[in-house]
Amino acid sequence: MAKLMSKVAVYPGCSLEGSSSAFQTSLKGVFDTLSAPWETLQDWSCCGASSAHALDHKLHQALTVRNLALAGQQGYTDLLAPCAACFHRLASAQRDVEKDSEVAKAADIPYDGQVRVRNIVDFIANDIGMAAIAARVKRRLNIKVACYYGCLNTRLPRTAQSDDREYPMAMDRIVKQLGASTVDWSYKTECCGASLFATSGGVSGKLVGKILKDAAACGADCVVVACPMCHNNLDTKQEEIRAQAGIDRPLPVLFLSQIMGLAFGLPESVLKLNDSFTPVGALASHG
Amino acid sequence: MMLKENPSLCYQCAKCSTGCPVSKEMDLMPHQIIHLLSLGQRDRVLRSRTLWMCAGCYACAVRCPNDIDITTVMDELRSEAVEKGIPCPHPEVLEFHRNFLKDMSRRGKVHELRMMGEYNMRMRRPFHDAAVGAKMFIKGRLHLLPPSAVGGFSRWMKKLWRS
Ligand code: SF4
Ligand code: SF4
Repeated sequence: MAKLMSKVAVYPGCSLEGSSSAFQTSLKGVFDTLSAPWETLQDWSCCGASSAHALDHKLHQALTVRNLALAGQQGYTDLLAPCAACFHRLASAQRDVEKDSEVAKAADIPYDGQVRVRNIVDFIANDIGMAAIAARVKRRLNIKVACYYGCLNTRLPRTAQSDDREYPMAMDRIVKQLGASTVDWSYKTECCGASLFATSGGVSGKLVGKILKDAAACGADCVVVACPMCHNNLDTKQEEIRAQAGIDRPLPVLFLSQIMGLAFGLPESVLKLNDSFTPVGALASHG
Repeated sequence: MMLKENPSLCYQCAKCSTGCPVSKEMDLMPHQIIHLLSLGQRDRVLRSRTLWMCAGCYACAVRCPNDIDITTVMDELRSEAVEKGIPCPHPEVLEFHRNFLKDMSRRGKVHELRMMGEYNMRMRRPFHDAAVGAKMFIKGRLHLLPPSAVGGFSRWMKKLWRS
């Protein structure tokens, strides 16, 4: 359960309110099941990922610090950003604030610099905890899962991290509580191309092909992700990418919260498995 | 412009380039970028395709034995290249970012359908990825109406940019 004295706000970000709403509804369903509080940051605005930091550092700082300052003003100690890109942007801004108090002024809104930016995998694994998860499992999942962390969930330079950067296991540990087994594979943290998928599909498609190929070769039934961009890139053009990479079977892509919700017995209205392009149906009735 | 990172710390082990997922698409690999910077060949670096092919994955940054945040160097160089008006070798990437920021600044949030539509128009390829877009739309994942505007956002942006 959430630590004593901490008050957590959720920062949804544009994707979770848009094309990746399945991540938000399933995550909220999982939090409700686990009696973890879900309060949305009021007046939040876009953090600028994937573009502000790429072109304009000052804009990146203003957009991120604005949201950190709001969290502080609204009495929150922690800001939980389920989207890996939002998490990375907000957490790197917070790191910069801690190194240089001038950065706290970037948004022209008073900010005391005290908010902790939290990662969703870390939060579920360490604040909610394995025992609470195991206690809620209604249907054990008899499947093999490739946990795909991608890049931005685990790679924040110059910060202390709770999990390994090169071979993280937190998501694997969560998934194992659901009765599933996880595969050892080499592409856990390899980048899927992020926004290159939208601009330079060929480049990104090759990266996605390698990731899916390794997951399939290791015998995974599906891939589990904790990032809307990873989900989009691994899922939406999978048929085409599999044909190019020579992968002979589909690999459903699920958000971590969707696979948790499956084991908790949550309904499709919350899980939104049908939002995915690669059918998840067969998997859902497995186990 | 001063970089926040010090390229002279680099001893050319090339660990950054070895782990870079897109080094094959680059004209200069990450370790070469850092090397040229320490030799003072800024202009050559600013013109490279590398800045626009970097996926921003931070593999190089967290692995560098000398703790050089190469990803942030890429961000700084890209911004500098745009500011100096250096011709962009990958306009499809630059236009994507510009279009994203334009869309975001309207209401403080991104309206995905409009953003992607406008981006395709800018790139003069209106039907690019149309099948994916259509399928998403049918699944109810793309909204016709924009997200509700963040109160006072455009005023806040304007005020900040005047200062
Ligand atoms: S990893 Fe670091 S030290 Fe090694 S070549 Fe790259 S920048 Fe230089
Ligand atoms: S951040 Fe850019 S340069 Fe560094 S490894 Fe990733 S893609 Fe390559």
